[in-house]
Amino acid sequence: MADEVVRLDKVRRDYLVGDQVTTALGGIDLVIERGEFVAIVGPSGSGKSTMMNLIGCLDRPTAGSVKIAGDSTNELNDNQLTSLRSKAIGFVFQQFQLLPNTTAIENVMAPLLYQGKNTKEAKRDATQMLTQLGLGDRLNFDRNRLSGGQQQRVAIARALVTSPDIVLADEPTGALDSKTGAAVIELLKDLHRDGRTVVLITHDLEIAASAPRRVFLRDGLIERDERGAK
Amino acid sequence: MKLLGTATLALNRIWATKIRSLLTMLGVVIGVAAIVALTSIVDGASQGINKSLATLGTNQLNITAMAADSLTEQDAQELAALENVSVMFVQAQNQGTIATGDKRVNARLVGVSAKYFEAVKPEIALGSYLSSSSFAATAKDVVFGADAANDLGLTKAMLGQTVKLNGQDFRLVGVLDDQAGFGTSGRVYVPIDSARKLFSQYPYVSSIVIQANTAEQVDTLQLQADVLLRERYGLGAETTARYTITNQASLIAAVGSITATLGLLLTGIAAISLIVGGIGIMNIMLVSVRERTREIGVRRAIGAKQSNILTQFLIEAIVLSLAGGVVGLILGEIAAFFLAVIGDWVFSIRLDTVGLALGFSLLVGVVFGVWPARTAAKLEPIDALRFE
Repeated sequence: MADEVVRLDKVRRDYLVGDQVTTALGGIDLVIERGEFVAIVGPSGSGKSTMMNLIGCLDRPTAGSVKIAGDSTNELNDNQLTSLRSKAIGFVFQQFQLLPNTTAIENVMAPLLYQGKNTKEAKRDATQMLTQLGLGDRLNFDRNRLSGGQQQRVAIARALVTSPDIVLADEPTGALDSKTGAAVIELLKDLHRDGRTVVLITHDLEIAASAPRRVFLRDGLIERDERGAK
Repeated sequence: MKLLGTATLALNRIWATKIRSLLTMLGVVIGVAAIVALTSIVDGASQGINKSLATLGTNQLNITAMAADSLTEQDAQELAALENVSVMFVQAQNQGTIATGDKRVNARLVGVSAKYFEAVKPEIALGSYLSSSSFAATAKDVVFGADAANDLGLTKAMLGQTVKLNGQDFRLVGVLDDQAGFGTSGRVYVPIDSARKLFSQYPYVSSIVIQANTAEQVDTLQLQADVLLRERYGLGAETTARYTITNQASLIAAVGSITATLGLLLTGIAAISLIVGGIGIMNIMLVSVRERTREIGVRRAIGAKQSNILTQFLIEAIVLSLAGGVVGLILGEIAAFFLAVIGDWVFSIRLDTVGLALGFSLLVGVVFGVWPARTAAKLEPIDALRFE
């Protein structure tokens, strides 16, 4: 059996909006194996944000089972879910979401510090990661002094620094011009080439096309699961 | 995340929003400064009162007769013979008239025994106290209190001249400078033997004053004096109508409790402003939690536990409050210093005031920081991330 980092079995997620039950995901079966680069594609309302929350250990399913890096999230309490998230997931958000009033290195150190590493270790690892991404001379710049592309690389460094099982990118090109956006996609491809598991959430078919596997969502269900270059 | 790292986050945030942080602290600054300054005023005032009471003698017991024939000189002699009594004197007093030339006014005539001046040591303005020769049987000397002297318009030239007390001639030997004391105005002092001839019947006295060797002996002495007098007059434990015994130390204690109450009242008022300051901090922290909902979401996503978020916001509130407390303490002590200069009392930085000010501001930070911090910690990460 191959190494499954994500396993969704008959996953259902209902939300209560007012007194109305809305079904965001209506029964999803999905397996992602280690080292895959998967795009989860769909228009807004298709359930892709809910997929991100479930895979990202930010949320638990209403029914069915979600296993991330071998651990089932169903039974975990908030603290345990946070620990799993901290270990297994590296987030790359739309609009970078760098922390305010903090420098590049402080952003990258934060996940390590939350894992309980001491400041010295965290600083060493963060410096190494930023240097790898070509930001060795920008360590103490705060976000106002970084360009869009640089900010995105800081965000990626922050996602990678804990060596997570999955890099989860949520519309990472959404706020960028097409050239910078393309550079970010190249970065994700590089990560994939290095053997990392990358899950890309997007509504953009063109962006999705850069992934070797594409899972199309519509109305909370998987419409089709494509493999191979397009 | 280690506590130190969390504290650094909180400090960064406070530094990044300097003006807002300063304004937020202001309530606590004012509250703490008020507490410190008011405490020092109360301290200064009670220092002053105690000083003037202490000049009356803290070792002193006054036994005052409730009726003209309640106490006698024999009582006084027996009281003087008690253990640990250093000085005893008696007084016999009555209303009377004093006159010079064609001017005549009412005054309180006080007959005192020889030890009076030695024990009380009133300030003298002119001339001298009643000397031992004044207490000789034939001498008719008088010392005027400041108010009595003013009432008659006495001048320095009149020292040694004759004044009339209840129509009898007396020689003026001195004028006291006793305006600062209380209860001594409009008085003239004569030897007790002279008083016997003027108004008072032997052997009765209006009051007996005894002094203990040390302040610690006063309470015991008071008990002994009471027992002695009860035995002499065959009084039951319940009856006290014949005399009252007052104790300077208990007077000082009474004043102390009044100033303590006053202090509590003023501190209470200042504490209210501290609470208002705390509410200000809570308000700003709640606004801050709302503004930073996204940040909280991102922090949760990259691995912050609820406890990390709680600690971050709680430390921020505590630092704001504590910093306000430190600034308030400094301002309060500066104010206290100038008040001490103006009010002419001794300025000192009291450790308990420092502790109280810092302790209270810490408490305010914790109490008013908990709710916003809990609100922040309880945010659902997915809601926080989606928050616009």
